[in-house]
Amino acid sequence: MKSILLRATLMSVMALALGPRVGYASADAPTDAEVEAHKDVLDLAGAFTNDGFKLRDGYYAGTLKTGQLVVIQVNLYAGNEYWFSVATAKPESAVTIAVYDETGNLVKTNPYTDAHRAAAGFSPDNSGPFYLKIADTGAPATYCTIYSYK
Amino acid sequence: MTVWRCILTGLLALTGVHAWAADQPVPKLAPAVLAQAVTDDSFSVPTPGELLAALNKVGKPNWQAQYRPPIPTAYTSRPQIALNLGGLIADGYLAVEAEDSQQVKNIGKDIITLAKTLGISENVLKRGRSIEDFAENNEWSTLKEELDATQNEVKLAMDEQQDEELTTLVTLGGWIRGTQAVSGWIASNYTEPEAKLLRQPGILALLRAKLAALPVRTREDDLVKGLDPRLQAIQEMVSFPVTATPTQADVKKLNDAAGELVTNITSKR
Repeated sequence: MKSILLRATLMSVMALALGPRVGYASADAPTDAEVEAHKDVLDLAGAFTNDGFKLRDGYYAGTLKTGQLVVIQVNLYAGNEYWFSVATAKPESAVTIAVYDETGNLVKTNPYTDAHRAAAGFSPDNSGPFYLKIADTGAPATYCTIYSYK
Repeated sequence: MTVWRCILTGLLALTGVHAWAADQPVPKLAPAVLAQAVTDDSFSVPTPGELLAALNKVGKPNWQAQYRPPIPTAYTSRPQIALNLGGLIADGYLAVEAEDSQQVKNIGKDIITLAKTLGISENVLKRGRSIEDFAENNEWSTLKEELDATQNEVKLAMDEQQDEELTTLVTLGGWIRGTQAVSGWIASNYTEPEAKLLRQPGILALLRAKLAALPVRTREDDLVKGLDPRLQAIQEMVSFPVTATPTQADVKKLNDAAGELVTNITSKR
């Protein structure tokens, strides 16, 4: 128990030191890496399109430094089914995606992970704001995220 | 042990990060992190198609009943053109849901006419032709994506013309017209699950913040100036708690407010 508490304390200290860091997409033309990540995430989302999901035109892209995370707000409708997909530009740069509700609680999703690509699928019980948390798993990465619904 | 617990509790309170200990729930996102979340109106604001898809799951709406008469297409104010372009795109979604190819084509033409007045018709024109072709061939599923793409094409063209502030108005115009149509249907065919779909506190908070950040010259446009008080009233109507359900009277009130705003947006001045 003591070691768990020590580890939690250490992680809390690290979190305090780093603070919440948020990455932003560039308003300029997409970089080559963003284009590559976009291509890969579209490839992943194609599987959902085959299952009747509509792909939202538009994407959110940026660069994550090591240990950095980005949190993006989305506003969803109860009863719809959603898949949120993300990919990085390099196969060796793993990425994770998680969905949180408006009170900050982690939402149970259907996960998909494939090296540098990840997806989370779920159907909200209530309409309102939700938050996507995209994080790298150890290396800097340019990412692109998109979503599909039905 | 007590010392460690005190340190831990203090640090967790400061950071908002919850414990990873085995007997604790998974970490929450702290309110400070949620407040700093990225919002982008092209990603964070749902398309009218998403709202219509949700409503289709709990009812069989007659979308033709929510059509409106053709709107003017000869405005001179660029913010007003942008707001009405968004509204027309929402009309396009309604026509696609109603699987009404003639209405889709009519709306496509109006979108192109309005886009031309902003000088952004080149790529939008191509989309317009695609919309006409897909409507001709009853490709309803493809049309939904094409409308979404048209909205983004309009915004992209605005960006290229240094009219990027107008993109928020396109999104806003679409959301208001979509809300008017959907609340109109629900008010006339009330069920609790449909009424609960109208809950969307985040969208108007986001759009009002974007409006407040518009350049002064756009904010001082007569039409834009009058938007915020009306949006504030609508925001209150769609910000009910997760556990609450609006009554039929509440939905009617929302429909009236959205309708008044749409009338205001379409009226020539």
